[in-house]
Amino acid sequence: MNRALPEMLHCINTPGNVAGSFTEMSVLERQRARIKWQQEQLLNQPSCFFEGNDQFNGYSMPNHAQDFHNLINSEVGLVVKADPGLDNRWQEFGQFGGEGSGLGSSGFVNGSGFELNYGISRTLSCPQEVAVAVTETARRESVSPEKMSSAVGRESFKKRKADRNQSLKAVAEEEPNEKRIKECNEEDESKITEEYSNNSKNTTNNDNNIKRETSADTSKDNSKVSEVQKPDYIHVRARRGQATDSHSLAERVRREKISERMKYLQDLVPGCNKITGKAGMLDEIINYVQSLQRQVEFLSMKLAAVNPSLDFNIDSFFAKEVFPASTSNFAIGVQSEITNPAYLQFNQLQLLASCTGLEMGINTPDMALRRTTSTPLSLPETFLDSSCFDVISAPSIVFRISVNMSGSFFLTKVFSHYSKSKPQQLGMEICKTFTVWSFCKEDQPHFQPSNLQTLDTECSNEAGNLKMEM
Amino acid sequence: MLKQEFLKKWIMGLQICSASKKEMSVLERKKAIKLSADLAMASTRNGSTNWSRALIANASKENDNTTLVDQILGKDSGSMIKKASNPSAFPDERVTTCRGKKMLRNRCCGIRRAKKMAASAGSIAKKLVKKRTQVLKRLVPGGESMDEFSLMEETLDYILSLRAQVDVMRHFANATPPN
Repeated sequence: MNRALPEMLHCINTPGNVAGSFTEMSVLERQRARIKWQQEQLLNQPSCFFEGNDQFNGYSMPNHAQDFHNLINSEVGLVVKADPGLDNRWQEFGQFGGEGSGLGSSGFVNGSGFELNYGISRTLSCPQEVAVAVTETARRESVSPEKMSSAVGRESFKKRKADRNQSLKAVAEEEPNEKRIKECNEEDESKITEEYSNNSKNTTNNDNNIKRETSADTSKDNSKVSEVQKPDYIHVRARRGQATDSHSLAERVRREKISERMKYLQDLVPGCNKITGKAGMLDEIINYVQSLQRQVEFLSMKLAAVNPSLDFNIDSFFAKEVFPASTSNFAIGVQSEITNPAYLQFNQLQLLASCTGLEMGINTPDMALRRTTSTPLSLPETFLDSSCFDVISAPSIVFRISVNMSGSFFLTKVFSHYSKSKPQQLGMEICKTFTVWSFCKEDQPHFQPSNLQTLDTECSNEAGNLKMEM
Repeated sequence: MLKQEFLKKWIMGLQICSASKKEMSVLERKKAIKLSADLAMASTRNGSTNWSRALIANASKENDNTTLVDQILGKDSGSMIKKASNPSAFPDERVTTCRGKKMLRNRCCGIRRAKKMAASAGSIAKKLVKKRTQVLKRLVPGGESMDEFSLMEETLDYILSLRAQVDVMRHFANATPPN
């Protein structure tokens, strides 16, 4: 019984190789093969039950049903061997895969007839599990490019086998993949599942040995690759010529992660977009961090120089932060100054296609504006619709915003550095300033937020002159 | 959001500073301002990042800052504090001298090694990257003990925080009138 299967396969193989098509196979031969297969089935099933009783209880019926299919299948494999371009055979085979024990047709279309034969020999002993395993192997094979190449290698190997059956061993030794198998052959044999060991008992033939080794190797190799890939879902694939051991794969994962971070950093750091190369990017990042740190130094120095004591502006900050509704903490003098009617003027001066500058002169009482501009962040920014100020920052329009109040404090300097690089931010700044400013004047009797709204609409409509009384 | 939190904490720190010391020179004031700003920036991260922990640890190493640190960070400052080594200038010097020696040697037997130019170019690029990584490690607080990947992450976070800090401080500075 042990030698029945390879012999049978061989006897099918030989006419297939010689005739080139299974239609030319004689009826006698087919019947003989069928009888042998049935014998095989009968002999095989008890051993299967031996191996895994509970597992195969449910599969015994399909096993019988597939008897004929298996026979057809072997013939199909044979045909494919002789003539790989026979499509309807593949379809038939695919059908079998669909109704059969989970032999995925897609997986097998990828593979060669070689693998197919082997799949059948496996299917005989234990249909479901091995078949699924084979399908998985084949599918994985289709994913991994390196495995594809190995599949191609096997195909060529198969062709050579068609040419000379005897020198298989030598050919196998030549293939690098197979060479690797030989090295870990012992290990493979021990690790392969019980069904497989059962199968190996069946086949002592040279051909089948090599076949099994190849598939064992691919399955093992694939499982190793997927093991590495599974924990972190980063698709690292070994290209041709790249190492596939776990260390270099992990290294590749790490490098890819780092380059991803570098990409984020590239987006974050201004002026880093055009630089390629890691060193240049790192340079840019270093410069940026250094400049930011220096800016912090400089600003703290400036603040220290400007303020004689450390509690500068703190009261006003907390007035707005903690009690945003009440303005009672403000200095009375400032409030009296605010009570003066202010005129807010928006002049759309001109349309300049090239100029992006924005001039802004705000005349306000000193203290009021100082306080207000110092707290743009702690105040609600949604007081005004900021989107209407985007019109201001549009590159083609130059607005002059002048807030005339009783004082004479110009804040052009404050915004000058914004107007060069960040028009969007400038719009936000103006918005914030106005928000704060209107906030200060909240308790004024004739202050109406709707006025500001109209201002916005006028502004966005690019109306010429708007004079608004606050 | 980040800025608001930073601002709140910074002002709190400044108040604490001003309460503890009345008369200060300009430099002292600057130091206090910067320290409180840094601590506020670090405390906005709640100790979730390495750089903030390192910053806090560095600040709390100096004795007179401990009270400030504690007060800014609140109760959970003790768990945040982590030992971080002071950045020293030695590694950089060593790197530069090493490179100088190597270049000298290369020049000595340069002609013979013309074939190995490609390999040496790759190694030079690698060396440049390594050197810059070293520099970056010294810039980011607590970066000495990081590997490359976490360094990148921390740098991302640090840049974001620094930006917020600079923004707030600039507003502050612009708002205060010149005397």
